[in-house]
Amino acid sequence: MVKIIVVTSGKGGVGKTTTSASFAVGLASRGYKTAVIDFDIGLRNLDLIMGCERRVVYDFVNVIRGEATLNQALIRDKHTKELFILPASQTRDKDALTLEGVAAVLDELGKTFDYIVCDSPAGIERGAQLAMYFADSAIVVTNPEVSSVRDSDRMLGLLSSKTKRAEEGKGQISEHLLLTRYSPKRVANGDMLSLADVNEILAIPLLGVIPESQAVLRASNSGVPVIVDSESDAGQAYTDAVARYLGEEVPFRFLQEKSHWLKRLFSFKEKEAV
Amino acid sequence: MADSILVTDHQACFRFKTSFAACTIMQLTRYDLDDLSKQTTAAVNRAPNFFIGSPVVLDLEVVKGIGVLDFKQIKQILISNNLVPVGVRGGSQEQLEEAATAGFPVITIGKPKLIDEPPKKTPQAPITKLVTSPIRSGMQVYARATDLIVMAPVSPGAELLADGNIHVYGPLRGRALAGVQGNTQARIFCRTLEAELVAIAGYYLVKEDMHNLPSDGSTMQIYLAGEEVKIAAV
Ligand SMILES: Nc1ncnc2c1ncn2[C@@H]1O[C@H](COP(=O)(O)OP(=O)(O)OP(=O)(O)O)[C@@H](O)[C@H]1O
Ligand SMILES: [Mg+2]
Repeated sequence: MVKIIVVTSGKGGVGKTTTSASFAVGLASRGYKTAVIDFDIGLRNLDLIMGCERRVVYDFVNVIRGEATLNQALIRDKHTKELFILPASQTRDKDALTLEGVAAVLDELGKTFDYIVCDSPAGIERGAQLAMYFADSAIVVTNPEVSSVRDSDRMLGLLSSKTKRAEEGKGQISEHLLLTRYSPKRVANGDMLSLADVNEILAIPLLGVIPESQAVLRASNSGVPVIVDSESDAGQAYTDAVARYLGEEVPFRFLQEKSHWLKRLFSFKEKEAV
Repeated sequence: MADSILVTDHQACFRFKTSFAACTIMQLTRYDLDDLSKQTTAAVNRAPNFFIGSPVVLDLEVVKGIGVLDFKQIKQILISNNLVPVGVRGGSQEQLEEAATAGFPVITIGKPKLIDEPPKKTPQAPITKLVTSPIRSGMQVYARATDLIVMAPVSPGAELLADGNIHVYGPLRGRALAGVQGNTQARIFCRTLEAELVAIAGYYLVKEDMHNLPSDGSTMQIYLAGEEVKIAAV
């Protein structure tokens, strides 16, 4: 059975596309046949982050309109086997997506794919609602700040009522919190909400904490999702999150400030002295 | 001395006394004046001590659908059998009007009851509305004509409304408005009060004005004292 995952947030610019790209790579590199769909019609970001923008010929809207077949529009990823990208249209507006059209594309993909990752646009309007409607599970991307948490909370409310599963009474979709751009230093300063603060409000299972990282910008500039950069903290955090999504137990990392080697040395000495 | 009023008040020319004197309800089940006459005579003859001189209320519940009856005839049948017709109840509007012109006052005391009616369920109080999943920002829950019980967190930006009381067992961080139809007796009960706003019957308190909350984890109640919303430990 195919599993449809929506990556959503309410608030814009919190890391949905970054997450969708890395998650799709993570699932595919585990051997699952995975498609990642850009629902952000009019903006087209996913293909840039996936580094396939020059190979876009047909897009999601072309398929919905019957102007191209799904196979013509799907782009095979260069680095990861089993990974395909369905890009958004840059020239159309949001209204080009229809519920029936989306349903038909997901149905068709569902015949051969294991996972479909839907990169939602920001907001709670039609585009975001279409991205979540057919989902089996949701990754709610949240930054540790009040407005982002509030929007994620709002999104969780919609997820509990505005999905096909909810409407057909087939039970809740599974909800996962992904806290991104987490900076332990700024949390310690009181500039950011802590993990505990966020958990208290949203109260859904925590999938991972992605640290604020230079590696993310580097990755998107080079068109290779950050999860591929296995040296980077953000890359490793995404690898952990994918493992947790697949049911593995992985300890949380990157929650504390990186301590300077001198500091570490001192604390070591202190321990010895006791 | 409560009695003295009556004793000394010589002006009064009557007193009200309630009584449980027997009054026979005669429920018509079929409209046929000849049969009615014969059967009434037979019934009175079987138990004259019981029936003779007895007040009779005519119950029209079963025959309310058959149109206007000849109430003058019915009255005559009753009187000739030494019964005392005192009124009608339970008929259609036009039957009652017709009965009134024939000298049957409409009586509303006591509820008309069908003979073979199945035992009526006692009227149920409206079931309290129960919510067990989190109420998120932007969501609104309204318990109409009843109480609201929430067994989950209420997020900032969420809104609880009830005509009755509100009980919240998770943290209350949104808004809670009890007695929204004006019931000043309504109360809000909660364990963690971080609400943006609480209100009873339209009188409200915003977060900034909630001072000196009990911090020992005890259950709190929010109620109205005059026009002032109060918060206190239960
Ligand atoms: N962990 C991170 N560390 C540092 N920068 C990050 C991190 N995650 C995302 N960013 C940056 O934040 C910006 C927004 O990221 P992204 O495009 O993934 O967000 P989005 O939620 O998809 O935005 P939109 O709502 O516009 O679709 C990008 O510039 C990205 O490089
Ligand atoms: Mg995006």
